[in-house]
Amino acid sequence: MLLPEPMSRILVVGTKERLPASIELLYGLENVHVVDFSPDEEGFTLGSPLPEASDASRMLLKLRSMEKDLKVDEAKFGNKVPISKIAPTIDTTIEQIEAEMHGTIASKSAMQARLSEAQSKLSLLQPFRSIDLDLSMYKGYGSLDVIAGHIHSNPEAQLMEALGGEVETFTSSSGNFIVVFVPLAKADEAQRVLIQNGLTEVQVPEGTGKPEKIASELEGEISALTKEMEDVEKNIEQLREKHADFILASDEHLSIVVEKSELPLRMGASEHAFVLEAWAPTADVGKVQKAFKDKFQDSIHIEVLEDRSREEVHESKEEIRMEAGMTTAEVSAVPMSQETPVKLQHGKGVGRFEFFTKLLSTPRYNEIDPTIAVAIFFPIFFGIMVGDVGYGLPFAVLGYLGLKKTKSKEWRGISTMLFYGGLASIVFGLFMYGDMLGIEFNAPHADELSWSALLGVDIPRVLFSIGDIPIQLGYLTKLGDVKILLYLTLWIGIAHLIIGLALGFYNMTIRHGLKHAISEKFSWIMIMVGFALVLLVMVDVLIRGFALDFTDIRFLAGVGLLVVGLVMAVKGEGGKALVELPEVMSNVLSYTRLAAIGMSKAGMALAFNFIAIEMLASEGGIMIIVGLLIFVVGHLMIFVLAIISAGLHGIRLQYVELFNKFYEGGGLEFNPLKIERKHTLEE
Amino acid sequence: MADIGSGLIAIGAGLAVSITGIASAIAESSIGAAAVGAMAEDDKLFGKGLILTVIPETIVIFGLVVAILLWLNM
Repeated sequence: MLLPEPMSRILVVGTKERLPASIELLYGLENVHVVDFSPDEEGFTLGSPLPEASDASRMLLKLRSMEKDLKVDEAKFGNKVPISKIAPTIDTTIEQIEAEMHGTIASKSAMQARLSEAQSKLSLLQPFRSIDLDLSMYKGYGSLDVIAGHIHSNPEAQLMEALGGEVETFTSSSGNFIVVFVPLAKADEAQRVLIQNGLTEVQVPEGTGKPEKIASELEGEISALTKEMEDVEKNIEQLREKHADFILASDEHLSIVVEKSELPLRMGASEHAFVLEAWAPTADVGKVQKAFKDKFQDSIHIEVLEDRSREEVHESKEEIRMEAGMTTAEVSAVPMSQETPVKLQHGKGVGRFEFFTKLLSTPRYNEIDPTIAVAIFFPIFFGIMVGDVGYGLPFAVLGYLGLKKTKSKEWRGISTMLFYGGLASIVFGLFMYGDMLGIEFNAPHADELSWSALLGVDIPRVLFSIGDIPIQLGYLTKLGDVKILLYLTLWIGIAHLIIGLALGFYNMTIRHGLKHAISEKFSWIMIMVGFALVLLVMVDVLIRGFALDFTDIRFLAGVGLLVVGLVMAVKGEGGKALVELPEVMSNVLSYTRLAAIGMSKAGMALAFNFIAIEMLASEGGIMIIVGLLIFVVGHLMIFVLAIISAGLHGIRLQYVELFNKFYEGGGLEFNPLKIERKHTLEE
Repeated sequence: MADIGSGLIAIGAGLAVSITGIASAIAESSIGAAAVGAMAEDDKLFGKGLILTVIPETIVIFGLVVAILLWLNM
């Protein structure tokens, strides 16, 4: 439960005739994680793909281009097609569809080309439309220059003056486009005047005839083409509806064929044999062996190379390679085939929190999988921070819906957070704070806002008693008992950190043995306990105002543990332990955020409630509606902020404070050979 | 009515939180920007990026504690 599943390394050797059948079997088992073959082993080279790969890839290429041409959206077509229906005739069917599509696609692209040509011509002609001059008039002069362009202000008067009347201008009806005819000798002067009026020159389009006429012809052509395009699109849509299922199914089928037939690239091969190294969960090795035996009798050799222990071997291996005279570059060039893949094992509830572990990093093979710690502590922290039935309920409902409906990993992660966090918020809201939407169920003072006063119903404060302990609706209020809450959060922090260190102690024991674990982790547990004892004294002195008594047994024991622990830590880890010492205090203080965020939520809720209920609603009339509006908007805002602050800080306390005490991460995820089918059915 | 002494303590507490808050914000902004850059290159760096980004938060937590101590002595 706490550690990743035990793994064994297996070796499969067989003759090449058995290769395709072995690949089928390996994929069917779904619990074999293949290790890439390193070709430096003698007598073996990398394997080559099975012959069907090239045919399948060629067809796949065609299918993908069809998908693009027909704009097939994978998400819209969910039909599953049996393989037996497509596989035998896949080649001819693809050619058939290709032929069917060819005309439509070709005419579509031809039309698109014509359309864009007409559009660009039209946009060139557009400014000349309102000037009633034949296009041929703009060209072919020996002594005249023609300037056409957009302008900001009318330059005609200025031109007349500057050029002494030797100019002819035509302005468009809108007044922001001008064509100017000037003698060549005065062209520069005309240019200057025009630029002063904001000239952006445009080219005169080629051709002859009145621009207005040409343009309206073009417009006619464009609208005709657009209409034709619509027909073609309809055709394409028909083709899409008709063939999408086949195309997607064959795409998937062929992708699987290609993947399978390329598996030999990860194996070693000699002239007649193949060799494959892989990892499988130790518990399943028997199943793997039996499956091979049932299918091939003894003609495939399968051997368990090792049952991987949790001890740290990686570093020593590198050292051995170094000693064998390999340079660092060579060492790092050796593939990490020794890295054991990690398969986490969880039930359904805890498994949902795997997202948060993997978001940080996959655990290593020889360390405790922290998912369960996240699954326990995250909801608790979230609950302490939110601690309000009024927010907890919608969180839980939203989370539940999310877990029911969403598929993507990220949304499921967020839904998990909301669902369990929401449940915890309800529990803390009911029993610890007795709060709903920042209003207490039952206020201790008569003049405070409470649900029992608002609704006029008597809500009992003590629900029932277990023995002598009364179970109440709320013991603390977030704003009234700040001292107690802060104090409580410090102890939550100390407990959380000691759990983290204990997990680290265990990790160290299985990796490097008990001796290392004591000097590197137990020392810190001692420091933490020592700090906790000193904290008790400090609270008495600083907050409750007692005199500092050096003979206080808690103080003496605390300082003693601190010093001994520190000496052990320095011996185990070196001077770095001294640098890390202040971290103990900052780690513990970090948990005060649990109380601080709760306070900020309660403060905002108090303000909105005061405005909405006591200031506005008590006026009566229309003000009740305004008050209700403020109430709803205000609480919605707090609700959304709660996701960000409580969610983020809840997870941060796990990642930064807890995980730092034991978690290394960076493991390789167990990724077995497996086929997932969305569009095809295997029979 | 509170006396001037309590008022000054309250201002001190406010300064303790606000200045340390600004300081952490400045520090975290540049670390955060770099961390996002690193994550764009390699998704796996999310964890390391997050941890590095929140390191300066210690400053504001100390500020908060100082503020609370002041406030409790008011």
